[in-house]
Amino acid sequence: MISAHVTTPKLVVSWIALLVLTFLSFGSSLLGLGEAELFIALGISVVKTFVVLFIFMHLVEQRFANRLIVILTFLFIVLLVTLTVADPLTRKTFPPRPDPAASPYP
Amino acid sequence: MSAQRLVEQFESLEKQDHAARLAMWMFLGSETLLFGALFAAYAYYRGMYPSEFVQALHHNSVALGTTNTVVLITSSFTVALGVHFVREGRARLTAGLFALSTLFGAVFLVVKGIEYSHHIHENALPAGMYAFAERPPAGVVLGFTLYWFMTALHGLHVIAGMIMLAVVGLLCWKGRYGVHRNVAVENVGLYWHLVDVVWIFLWPLFYLTD
Repeated sequence: MISAHVTTPKLVVSWIALLVLTFLSFGSSLLGLGEAELFIALGISVVKTFVVLFIFMHLVEQRFANRLIVILTFLFIVLLVTLTVADPLTRKTFPPRPDPAASPYP
Repeated sequence: MSAQRLVEQFESLEKQDHAARLAMWMFLGSETLLFGALFAAYAYYRGMYPSEFVQALHHNSVALGTTNTVVLITSSFTVALGVHFVREGRARLTAGLFALSTLFGAVFLVVKGIEYSHHIHENALPAGMYAFAERPPAGVVLGFTLYWFMTALHGLHVIAGMIMLAVVGLLCWKGRYGVHRNVAVENVGLYWHLVDVVWIFLWPLFYLTD
C-alpha cells in the first residue's frame, strides 16, 4: 500500500519550497501586471496546494480512493465556479451590474 | 492492546485505519466545497465589480497578510513533522510539535485580530454595517462583506483546528498514540493542512491581486 515514504528531509524541503513560492507570489504582486497578476498568484497557490496535499498530507503514499476524493472535489469546484462566473462575464443584453446610484448597498 | 482497538465490523486494523482516513478525506472534500461556494461568490462579484474590488483590496495590509501566510505554512510544517514522528514512535516529540503548532495558530489569530480591529475602527464592516468614509459603497461593500465572511469562517476553522491539535497533542504526551495507533493524529493533521490550503488561496485573493 505504501509506495513512497515521506521522510524528514522531504518535509523540510517542502516547507522551504512553500516559503519560496510565497515569496515569489508576493514578489510578482509588486510588478504591477494588472489582470495577469490574479492568474499568476492563483497558479502559484495551486502549486503550493499540490506540495501540501502530496507531502504534508501524505497523499503520495495513500490509496487511490483518497486521491479520487481530491480529484472529484477539484472538478466540482472548477465546474461550479466556471458556471457561476459565466453569468456576469457574458452579459450583453442586460446591464452588467445594478446601478450603484439606485442601490448603494447591493 | 492493538487487538482490542479493532472494532467488530472490520477484518483488520489496516482496513479500519483506511476507513478512518477515507472518511477524513471525504469530510475535507465537503469542507472544501463549502469554501468553494464562497470562492464562486468572490469570482462572481469580482467579475461584476472589478475596480471596486481593487479599492477594497488596497485597504488590506499586505505585510500582516503575508506574515500570517508564513505563520500558517510553518505551522503546517510542524504538524507534518509531528505526524511523521508519531509514526516512528516518538509521541512526546509529536506532543511538543503540536503544542508549537497550536501556538502558531494563536499567533495567526492575534495578527488577524489586529487587522479586524483596524477595520472596525474605520467602519469597514460587512453589508449594512458598512460606513467607511474613505471608500464609496456599492461594489466595495461586497468586497468587504466577502472578506469578513471568508476570513471569519477560516478563523473559526483555525480555532477548531487549534482545539483538536491541543487535545491530540496532550493524548500523545500521555502515551495514547504510537507506532501502531496514530490514525487520529494523522486525521487532525489533515484538518490543519486543509486550514492552511484555504489560507493559501485567501491570501492572494484578499491581499495580493490588485
